[in-house]
Amino acid sequence: MRRPSAIIADDEPLLRDALSRLLATAWPELLIVAYARNGREAIEFFDLHKPDICFLDVQMPGKTGVEAAQHIGRRSHVVFVTAFDQYAVQAFAQGALDYLVKPVEAPRLEETVARLKERLAASQPALDTEALLQQLAQTLRAPAPQGLRWVRASLGSVIRLIDVNDIDFLRSDEKYTVVAWRDDAGAPQEALVRTALKDLIPQLDATQFSQVHRSVVVNLRAISHVTRGENETADIHLKGRQETLPVSRTYLHLFKQM
Amino acid sequence: MVSTAASLPTGIRRIFAWPRVRFTLIVSAIFGLLMGLHTGGVGVFILRAVMVGSVLLLVFGLFELWPRQLPRWLPRTVLRLIAIAIVSPLAIGFSVGLTGGGSQHDYGLMFGVTFLFAPWIAIGTILRQRDAFAREQALEFDLQRSEFERRESDARLRLLQAQVEPHFLFNTLANVQALVDSGSPQASKVLSSLIAYLRAAVPRMHAQMATLASEVELVRAYLDLMQMRMPDRLQYAIHLEPAAAPLECPPMTLLTLVENAVRHGIDPGEAGGRIDADIWLRDGRCVIRVTDTGIGLNAKTHGLGTGLSNLRERLRLAFAGEARFTLTEITPHGVCAEISFPGTPA
Repeated sequence: MRRPSAIIADDEPLLRDALSRLLATAWPELLIVAYARNGREAIEFFDLHKPDICFLDVQMPGKTGVEAAQHIGRRSHVVFVTAFDQYAVQAFAQGALDYLVKPVEAPRLEETVARLKERLAASQPALDTEALLQQLAQTLRAPAPQGLRWVRASLGSVIRLIDVNDIDFLRSDEKYTVVAWRDDAGAPQEALVRTALKDLIPQLDATQFSQVHRSVVVNLRAISHVTRGENETADIHLKGRQETLPVSRTYLHLFKQM
Repeated sequence: MVSTAASLPTGIRRIFAWPRVRFTLIVSAIFGLLMGLHTGGVGVFILRAVMVGSVLLLVFGLFELWPRQLPRWLPRTVLRLIAIAIVSPLAIGFSVGLTGGGSQHDYGLMFGVTFLFAPWIAIGTILRQRDAFAREQALEFDLQRSEFERRESDARLRLLQAQVEPHFLFNTLANVQALVDSGSPQASKVLSSLIAYLRAAVPRMHAQMATLASEVELVRAYLDLMQMRMPDRLQYAIHLEPAAAPLECPPMTLLTLVENAVRHGIDPGEAGGRIDADIWLRDGRCVIRVTDTGIGLNAKTHGLGTGLSNLRERLRLAFAGEARFTLTEITPHGVCAEISFPGTPA
């Protein structure tokens, strides 16, 4: 009878060795055909060896284990290996995916091995987990909920990262954006961001930044006061800055009328 | 005109807001009384003045809301004053006519008083409205600011609580276990690094200040552990100028920079990279520079920052605005974080 085969993917070499050693005890017939150091290699080795089983670390550089599993689909039984992380573990447990938590414990591995042997013996196809994986991949890729924290801006030849809290306002300048910000000494500065304002807006924390004009977004914290002008417009005065910013009719409702 | 007002359900309430009505009644009554005392017939003049005042109030309020959009060349204030000027004679004629007519002197007196005072009262009201609007805005922003401040102190607290991440701890322990199981002679050395890291990190979270010498020890232990975990992907060097060793800094300052470089620069890249930490004294200021040759900020920038934002805030508090923190990109890829603050020996 053909020996079952597997690949192990983990970016930490000691953990690859540890899992392979544990498997040697729990499942001596299993043949480890390749070790991958990242998600890209996992996909490569899968395509090359078409193993029966893939042990995939979830957090790997480049492509994650979940992304590799999406490529593999139902062509192989996938077992995720995850670090202590209650969110991921919860998702795996609820989704009936096979998973191991690092450090891998022998009894737990034996259960997993028994389940895999059963499925191989019955020539059962791998679980259909496409929808679940899609959801997981999205969770892993999702940006931090608090939004953009640093803006990459050019100051001469240097690319500097400006803390969004230091930004007074952003003004659209053709396809780039001018960022008016404060340096550590509190002095007003300006820098250029190579992203259009409309692309920056969705990344900004809406409770802190407000669009007040077609081409102006202001940090609410930087506002000193607002004066209402004629014809449904208003001017924003900033703390420690001479210039005022226009509020156009469309955005006037933000500064509640009396 | 009535239908216009009806189509603005909040408008009618605004036009006849009680403070305004009260103000109008009182002012009209006073003028009526004065005119009545002057010519005789106090009751009639008060009634006339109140009628004129009410009509003017209606006009004043109506043109505040209607039309919704005005041409650029016509300021609303001007429109309202013009409306009052046009309606005043009509209102006066109306009020005198309704109260049984009057002499030419009565008309003259009412015209004089109305044209002398009504515009100023209207302008005063408009200015007061603007003031109140500005005050309301200022209050609104104060409220928002205090909310931001509360969120910031929350963030500081979370940083303190989450410094030794379970994720880091369990992953490291999994590596230590692998070494022990395979009987590697490295196991004991790695365990020492973990102990050094934990010993340094745990009490530090509560300390006010640390020395740079102890920060470097902590970071060395951390980098040793990370190098065990990704030996093929991480190189590092730490250089501490002896003169800077006894200087004080907020606890975890150096560690936050180095952790950030590992987590967002080195770990996400297949090729990894190199971390250089340099600490020196320059013109009485302590300079800390951490550079990494990791993936830089092109790809996954979104994770970057919570730790760094918190660190900036803590430096700001510790050095009363005397600390500087810059973050720049280096070529071909990587990030350079540089901090400087006044050097004070512990």
